[in-house]
Amino acid sequence: MITWVLYDIKNNSARSYVSKACKHAGLYRVQYSCFLGTLNANEKDSLELQINKVINEETDKVYLFRMNKEQLKECSMLGQAFDEKLVTDEVKALFF
Amino acid sequence: MQSFYPSQIIEYLYCPRYTYFEYVLRIPQNEVKYFKVERGREIHDEKLERNKEYLRKKIGVTRKWTDMYLGNDYLRGKVDEVLELEDGSYAPLDYKFALWKDRIFETYAQQLYCYAILIEDTYNKPVNKGFLVYTRSRNKLVEVPIDENAKSKVRQSTGEMLKIIDGNKFPKATKFKKRCLNCTYRNICTK
Repeated sequence: MITWVLYDIKNNSARSYVSKACKHAGLYRVQYSCFLGTLNANEKDSLELQINKVINEETDKVYLFRMNKEQLKECSMLGQAFDEKLVTDEVKALFF
Repeated sequence: MQSFYPSQIIEYLYCPRYTYFEYVLRIPQNEVKYFKVERGREIHDEKLERNKEYLRKKIGVTRKWTDMYLGNDYLRGKVDEVLELEDGSYAPLDYKFALWKDRIFETYAQQLYCYAILIEDTYNKPVNKGFLVYTRSRNKLVEVPIDENAKSKVRQSTGEMLKIIDGNKFPKATKFKKRCLNCTYRNICTK
């Protein structure tokens, strides 16, 4: 399922840990604190645990939203939007 | 003589070719480090330190031994907790870094069956049930009945595994093709 990860994290090292964990899970960075990509239930669960380990529950905010392809198509994207096909894993290779 | 870990038996039950590739051809599994597995090990070590003397009164525990390494002719393994119950029987208890999903997975059950055999052989006491603790569902305790049938199945599996290893036998793959999808040997296995 397509998963959005949005965060506001105060601590620098915790923030960079989270961004690395998101990249490692195979998500694409669509904005500075916003990642998007396809994760299965186990991958999402694992990422959630990793993030939960480093954040400060008093000050930080992290959201993980799940949606399917139909719901993503209904979203509006203005300006410099991301490549929809890339995040839904329809593009298999970037170079030929 | 060759003795097996419960995890080896679980692999065998997943697909007999695991045993062949890993213990006959000695091709190591291409394992990835999973965060959840690592975290589970940390929690396990924390559990060992905390509440060392605590006995679960609700299920009638009178004595316990933690982190017991047991072995017999064909099995070996480390049981998280060996419990002595009020009725004189013994029971294995295993911690799982997992969520309770309203059913007991076969792999967890198999592990407890192996431990049951080991406890019976080591302590000479009957084992009729085992326990699982789901640490991610507020330490939910689940009782798993263990009967003779289950134990004989484990013995049967170890026998089959020995046949594969000693006889260099290339076994038939599992009939569940779905399992091939994320198998670590999928690149070298002829389906």
